[in-house]
Amino acid sequence: MICLDCDDLFATWRQQARWLLSHGVDPSQVSWETADLFATDQDLPATPGPFQARIPLALVEQLEAAARYRGQQRWSLLYEVLWRVSHGDRTAMLAGDSLGSELHRRLKQVSREAHHLHAFVRFVALAPAEGAAGQPEYVAWHEPAHDILESASAHFIGRMGRHRWLIATPRDGVYYDGEQLHYQRQCPVAWQQMAQQAEDPHGELWLTYYSHIFNPARLNTRAMQGHLPSRFWKHLPEGVLIPGLISEARTGKQRDGQAGSIGARQGKRIVTGG
Amino acid sequence: MQLIEKLSILADAAKYDASCASSAAPKRSSEGKAGLGATDGMGICHSYTPDGRCVSLLKILLTNFCLFDCQYCVNRRSSDVPRARFTPEEVVTLTLDFYRRNCISGLFLSSGIIRSADYTMEQLVRVARLLREEHEFRGYIHLKTIPEADPRLIEEAGRYADRLSVNIELPTDASLQTLAPEKQVSSIRQAMSTIHVGREAVVNEPRAPSFAPAGQSTQMIVGADDTDDSTILHSAESLYGNFKLKRVYYSAFSPIPNSPKSVPLAAPPLMREHRLYQADFLLRGYGFKAGELFQGPGHLALDIDPKLAWALEHRDVFPLDLNRAEPALIARIPGIGIRTTQRLVELRRQRRIRYEDLTRLRCVLAKAKPFLITSDYHPRQAESSSHLLREQLRDRPAPQQMGLWG
Repeated sequence: MICLDCDDLFATWRQQARWLLSHGVDPSQVSWETADLFATDQDLPATPGPFQARIPLALVEQLEAAARYRGQQRWSLLYEVLWRVSHGDRTAMLAGDSLGSELHRRLKQVSREAHHLHAFVRFVALAPAEGAAGQPEYVAWHEPAHDILESASAHFIGRMGRHRWLIATPRDGVYYDGEQLHYQRQCPVAWQQMAQQAEDPHGELWLTYYSHIFNPARLNTRAMQGHLPSRFWKHLPEGVLIPGLISEARTGKQRDGQAGSIGARQGKRIVTGG
Repeated sequence: MQLIEKLSILADAAKYDASCASSAAPKRSSEGKAGLGATDGMGICHSYTPDGRCVSLLKILLTNFCLFDCQYCVNRRSSDVPRARFTPEEVVTLTLDFYRRNCISGLFLSSGIIRSADYTMEQLVRVARLLREEHEFRGYIHLKTIPEADPRLIEEAGRYADRLSVNIELPTDASLQTLAPEKQVSSIRQAMSTIHVGREAVVNEPRAPSFAPAGQSTQMIVGADDTDDSTILHSAESLYGNFKLKRVYYSAFSPIPNSPKSVPLAAPPLMREHRLYQADFLLRGYGFKAGELFQGPGHLALDIDPKLAWALEHRDVFPLDLNRAEPALIARIPGIGIRTTQRLVELRRQRRIRYEDLTRLRCVLAKAKPFLITSDYHPRQAESSSHLLREQLRDRPAPQQMGLWG
């Protein structure tokens, strides 16, 4: 058994995989899980081996995307797919195959998580004194389940124009200075503090909008949970409102769609001239 | 009145509109530019309210003062609701604030009719112009069009907005006359046509200024009158055909406060709405015709989906051999969608399709298996009667706790 560590970096894994492939090392003989029970100290051969593999470009792209998935067998599954395709079995890339279906499940999870970043990041504006040149104007805290921050955060460059913004996570972080994106594998503590401690004195408007655009007559908590998993609630400003809105709907507001506070206000009928 | 109070009244007044989509816009980016906002064709749902609906845009009315008295509408002039009116600048401020927070991808602006149709439309266009020209906003803008407004105003709206929509409101002319006597079917169709012609004029003209590039849509209220699903879907089909609409939205009529006697005060028919969306998807994505889904006048079944209903009526087509059948026919098997069909076709180029492949492709096998053949599987149920199959496959309502006093 060959035990390898790629430091969760695709480029490193790719080098290692290329080497293994050239020596014809079978996937069952290699592991990227640290502290493998059956580990031996068998090392990589020093020179590349004779086998020349031809890898379709589409596969390299798929593997790179799937590598962002955090979970068991993160790297060994990729090597197994690579092995089969390089030995002429392209079904390993297809969702109908048993290995391919796991590959596609990971691809889907990763792209879903990138989408969650685009959807659920919430920027808070820093006070102007803090937001001086060299400092972000907008900060956000996010906890992605997979390693998607580096590849998916460029999305915000298009949205935010020349504004400076920062997204901090428990692991990595990214800062856009108005011209360039700076990615840090280890998020600086100062960034994390800035993102987690930002005060938001004008947050009420969004909360008001969220409560009033909800139609209690259409209450459907299952559909909501499917799209907005509750692990995100705690980071969304509107998250704290959700349980209250649900119970208000269940205790009477389902009869008509109007929010209670609106019904309590004085109404106004309009009289037309005709 | 404070901005926050106006926001609460005018969001509450806008919640009955179904659409909040921010999709189909062209690629735009603010990278390295002054201003704000991007679109890339994909919609983003930034939040979900507890009704399971997506929050993608700031969906708001400019005002809920209204001269009309449409019976189904919470903002009709005889309705006893609190009223408010934003200035165009206030809507701009809210849009930009929510956008910077990444709470929305743009604005969906509608309005009650005040003074005149032209005046109201001018105000809507003014908001869009302020956003685009003064603030260089490149996010998504959807404007609701006032049908009676001057066509030149609609044309102006199309230059700023990604999407324009005119609400057809009710599926038949007769219902519109009864429930919304001030609205004219002819002006609704005229406005749809103005938008359609405006879009056609810039097709294949890369230098022409864009015109509602994300297309036009409409909304139909379901359950406020007694129109059946067959009429609704035939009407949708002709709208797709005549005006090349991107979407028809179906909005289950939701009870309103101070409900007039002319409309029902009952829970919104959500399952019916769901079946209509499924059937609509069959029209847009699967090549079905409305006529195929109905034997005559009537409703869609509530306990089975419309594709399963069609399959049960056309047993002579099935079972289909997944290793041979045309892709368009495979997509007609209940429980197998367009994407799975593509994957099956990719797979069968490499090797024969087996039954276990279907589990991995996440087909809804319980529904699909009576209707398909693979290299190692032939359905036992191929001989079962449609009646029996339907009994096995229909959705059963969840058990309900009975009330103590009946």
